[in-house]
Amino acid sequence: MGLELYLPLVAAGPDFSTLPQQLTNGLILGSIYALIALGYTMVYGVLRLINFAHGEVYMLGAYTALLVSWAFGFAPTSPGDPKASVLVLAVMLLASMVVCAAVGAVIEYLAYRPMRKQSRISALITAIGVSLLLQYGGALFLPASPPPTISGKVDPFASIATLTLSPPPADLVDAEEAARAELAARETSLEQTMEAEGVRNQFDLSPEGKEVLQAKQAAEREVNRTAGAVETGSITIKLPQNRLVILGTVVGLMAALWFLVMKTKTGRSMRAASHDFESASLMGINVNRVVSITFMIGSALAGAGAMMNATFTGTSLTTFYGLLPGVKAFVAAVLGGIGNIPGAVLGGLIMGLAEELSVWAGFSGYKDAVAFIILIVVLLFRPGGLLGSSKVEKV
Amino acid sequence: MFGKRTWWLTGVAALGLLAVGCNGGATAGGGGESGGGESGDEILLGLVASQNGDLKPWGDDSVRGAQLAVDQANLAGGIDGKKIRLVIQDSNSDATQGKSAAEKLASDGVVTLLGEVASSITEVMADVAVEKGLPLIAVGATKTTITTKGDNIFRVCYTDDLQGPVMAKFAYDDLGLRNVAIITDNKQAYSKYLSETFRKHFESLGGKIVGEEFYESGAVNFAGQVTKLAQASPEGVFLSGYFNEVGPLAKAIRGAGMTDAKLLGGDGWDSREILQSGGDAIVGGYFCNHYNSQEDRPEVKDFLAKFNDAYGAEPGTTMGALAFDAAALAIDAMKRLAAEGKEINRENMTAAIGSTMDFKGVSGSITLEGMGGNPPKRALIVELTREGQVPAKSYEAAEVLGS
Amino acid sequence: MKFWTVRLLSVAAAFAFAFAMQGLGSVIGDDYAYRVINVSGIFITLAVSLNLINGITGQFSIGHAAFYQVGAYVTGYMTLKMFDPGGMHPTLWLIMMMFVGAVAAGLLGLVVGLPSLRLRGDYLAIVTLGFNEIIRIISTNIPEVGGAAGFNIKPKIVEPWLIWMLAVICIALSRNLLKNAHGLTFWAVREDEVASSAMGVNNTRIKVVAFVVGSALAGAAGVLYGHFEGFLDPKVFGMQQSFIILTMVVLGGTGSITGSALAAVFLTVLPEYLRDLKDPTGNELALNGGGIIGVFAASILMIWAVKRMKTMFPVKGRNRSLAEVGAHLVPWALVPLLNAVLASTPLAANTYRVSELRMVFFALVLILVMQLRPSGVFGHHEFSWNWLKSLFSRFRKEQTA
Repeated sequence: MGLELYLPLVAAGPDFSTLPQQLTNGLILGSIYALIALGYTMVYGVLRLINFAHGEVYMLGAYTALLVSWAFGFAPTSPGDPKASVLVLAVMLLASMVVCAAVGAVIEYLAYRPMRKQSRISALITAIGVSLLLQYGGALFLPASPPPTISGKVDPFASIATLTLSPPPADLVDAEEAARAELAARETSLEQTMEAEGVRNQFDLSPEGKEVLQAKQAAEREVNRTAGAVETGSITIKLPQNRLVILGTVVGLMAALWFLVMKTKTGRSMRAASHDFESASLMGINVNRVVSITFMIGSALAGAGAMMNATFTGTSLTTFYGLLPGVKAFVAAVLGGIGNIPGAVLGGLIMGLAEELSVWAGFSGYKDAVAFIILIVVLLFRPGGLLGSSKVEKV
Repeated sequence: MFGKRTWWLTGVAALGLLAVGCNGGATAGGGGESGGGESGDEILLGLVASQNGDLKPWGDDSVRGAQLAVDQANLAGGIDGKKIRLVIQDSNSDATQGKSAAEKLASDGVVTLLGEVASSITEVMADVAVEKGLPLIAVGATKTTITTKGDNIFRVCYTDDLQGPVMAKFAYDDLGLRNVAIITDNKQAYSKYLSETFRKHFESLGGKIVGEEFYESGAVNFAGQVTKLAQASPEGVFLSGYFNEVGPLAKAIRGAGMTDAKLLGGDGWDSREILQSGGDAIVGGYFCNHYNSQEDRPEVKDFLAKFNDAYGAEPGTTMGALAFDAAALAIDAMKRLAAEGKEINRENMTAAIGSTMDFKGVSGSITLEGMGGNPPKRALIVELTREGQVPAKSYEAAEVLGS
Repeated sequence: MKFWTVRLLSVAAAFAFAFAMQGLGSVIGDDYAYRVINVSGIFITLAVSLNLINGITGQFSIGHAAFYQVGAYVTGYMTLKMFDPGGMHPTLWLIMMMFVGAVAAGLLGLVVGLPSLRLRGDYLAIVTLGFNEIIRIISTNIPEVGGAAGFNIKPKIVEPWLIWMLAVICIALSRNLLKNAHGLTFWAVREDEVASSAMGVNNTRIKVVAFVVGSALAGAAGVLYGHFEGFLDPKVFGMQQSFIILTMVVLGGTGSITGSALAAVFLTVLPEYLRDLKDPTGNELALNGGGIIGVFAASILMIWAVKRMKTMFPVKGRNRSLAEVGAHLVPWALVPLLNAVLASTPLAANTYRVSELRMVFFALVLILVMQLRPSGVFGHHEFSWNWLKSLFSRFRKEQTA
């Protein structure tokens, strides 16, 4: 009984030839989550504060990248045809990081510092207030309607890199090539017909012309069918190059963070403050400075993530841009054990992989719920997250 | 810590604020009681718009469009010497607050309600309108069943029952597509309806839906969904969401190897930003719209020129034109009432709006007489080219739904 | 005997109050104002029930909207499918639905609460938040309840007195839980879990009871919301809604029932009040960019000034009170000032009507209250007649002094 129900599911279910591609997608998505999650986890480590405004800092990072790209002449209204260059991207990245760091520091100074001695729930409400203020207040001053987009022209890495794991059978490839040749011939004859009839719009063709058009469309379908056969007959990983740039930058930033936290004096005082805030201040560590620096670093990482996401995917920006990534990254931070830096990275990667795997398994409608389900299951068995400690603590 | 005294004062201040609030509402309600909408020498026209929240881009545009129509009418002398005042209330992109906004306008004594852009908010506004006997002209709510709530619910846009089938017919007959995939925004009712009607009609024509994937608005990453769809090698992909995500989706679709698939969509695509965000990936895509800025009709040219004068830019989304039409339609009804010497109140407005014949709107001709609130509209299919939007083909409602 | 007299009188008073609120509608004669009042009644229940979980036993739950939604959805669907207008009186049906909704939400509360109680503060928070999102996402994927489009509840059953009755029940339940010997254990759990378990309190049981009762009440509130509104939209029950309910609890003073209830009313009315703000000439109030900068500047200055006054006048008394009131009010002069001064600069290119800015002000009020009264407006205090009496006598003493 159970088996009959299960079999059609398997037949229609996941296709293992796309698994490598989906795992790669998940890895890259997860690396971005990890980058944002670091900001949550670092602030939590030092202050035991869930910084709900972190997503909004991320949003401001994306807007900074947009405004910088406009300054370089990539605005929709600006004249000329600016050339994409790595330099422009680097300036955008740097500007986003600097602005976010500044915003993070200002928020900490104005809103959170006065709350430090108060109960943590009051600090949390302040954070929610700051987040709402930036969402709704930002919409007054930032370009928001229609939601602007960073021009795709700014991206020199848009071409697609293909890694073939298992090549398709040669006869399928030949069939596709033949179909494409046929299509090219049909297209030429359609162009000739349109010229002969003197119409510019293919939908205005005469009935005879329509037949030529339909022949071309049949050729298109054949191309599609054969190309599809090639696609399913092979195992490849296709990635826009900019995904690799994202991965490289994230790894670079994390290495820099690791060096900063583990090898410098500032890093040592950060670790001390995170271990025991009170004692650290008694030991002569300037905890205010440490907290500011923590906020700046976390925010700068969010800014870098925002710049890369906004530029390379071309999403429209609104002041709610940081809401979803913010929540996802927060979940990632908790999953790994909030306050724990390697935990945030691990949590981010697991989240990214889980999301893409749930799509792969055919549950894209529940993609965002899967993240939470994993989190809840993990927390039931490891109440402190994967790498976190689980001592009892009251609010 | 504070002295007890201080917080006593704070408490009193808060209560005072409350009292003033209730009081303000109560005094403002005076006009609503009579059911008339002429306070002094002004006629009040109400607009509910999402001026805050995630629908803000569409809300802002609908405010601009409606305000333009009212300003023009006032410049031309108003109605019998009376000025029209557009009263705008924010819905914060939320159904509960949208209903409060509609109640507020009703109690302020507006003669007609305009709005909203989203079907869910329009749905609760319709409840208020039915309860108060107040005519409602929906701006962009394409959900088919809304107008069945009462005889005083109208709209200026077409319904999903037209848009989905039009795109299905276009995809099957004109583009010759047989295997199509769908990508739906799971969070937006608009997108879900559109996908559903498209699927139904496309399948009834004999086409095959080879896959459907979902995302939620606000998402940035679509790599997983498109990788999955690429395996089904669709000849076309129907993207029923809003332009914010359609541009990046188009890029992702090309990135996953579906380089030949035709991209199709609904009126949620309409924005000058879509070419910016989709770039070369979206070029060659087709979507269904209410009007197009390249059309030759005088209404379109006139509207765009005046909009440009007033706000220094073309409308960012299609809602500018639709809200303009909704307001202009209401004003047209007022003019007809004034010409007949009838009082401008809720019942008369309902009758006058309901008897609109062949009103020349920016989004095409609108006839509401005997239509149950849904004007049979023309649907325009627009092609995205590198230079901008170009009208490709237009369908009359009867052409599609009659078949 | 006195015990029963008080009981009966209380119940009678509760009914009298609820029906008075029902009658209020025709007295006000303005449907809009009456709607806002009733919506705030629903939020009183939501805030006070969350206060039971969050304020009184100190569990950090930020997903209250999930229970609210479950109550609304389950019973909304039942009314749509099973209600027979000829069979049962609508009011009776609605009361029955309230119990069904409460049980459904309470059961979910048990499911969420029981395993989550192993978790410490912030982890419980994220789990409740996660449940909130899971419930919302599931509801948008079920076509029977309209998916993302939501669904209409037919027939609408509008009984404002039930909204107020539920609010009264919720407040009374919370209050009585605290007043009797059981209540002390609740406080004990909140203040120090280790100590309370050492004193023989069953921490887990207390926490679960509070969680389930709080969730059930939120479910009942959802039932009334759904039948009052007649339309359910899953977007209404997102995280943002949970945050707003949580904000009500903290703003009013975590643990204070009075505070939660008043903050619920305040935060529901505030955005509505801002819809209709007029300047002295009777026009709609509007600010330009300069005025908005003025608002931010005044906020920062006010926080600074209030704190400064406390150090300048270390002794409580008339001078300190005056100085504090001044510090609260004077900085706001910056708003019209900057609005006028900067009117000729490019900043003033756009003007914003206050009704557009209301969400900005909402956020600002949150931050300001937290900065100035970190433990909420009411702190741990409750309203009581004795307290009022002592306040007045103190006030009179100061007047005569």
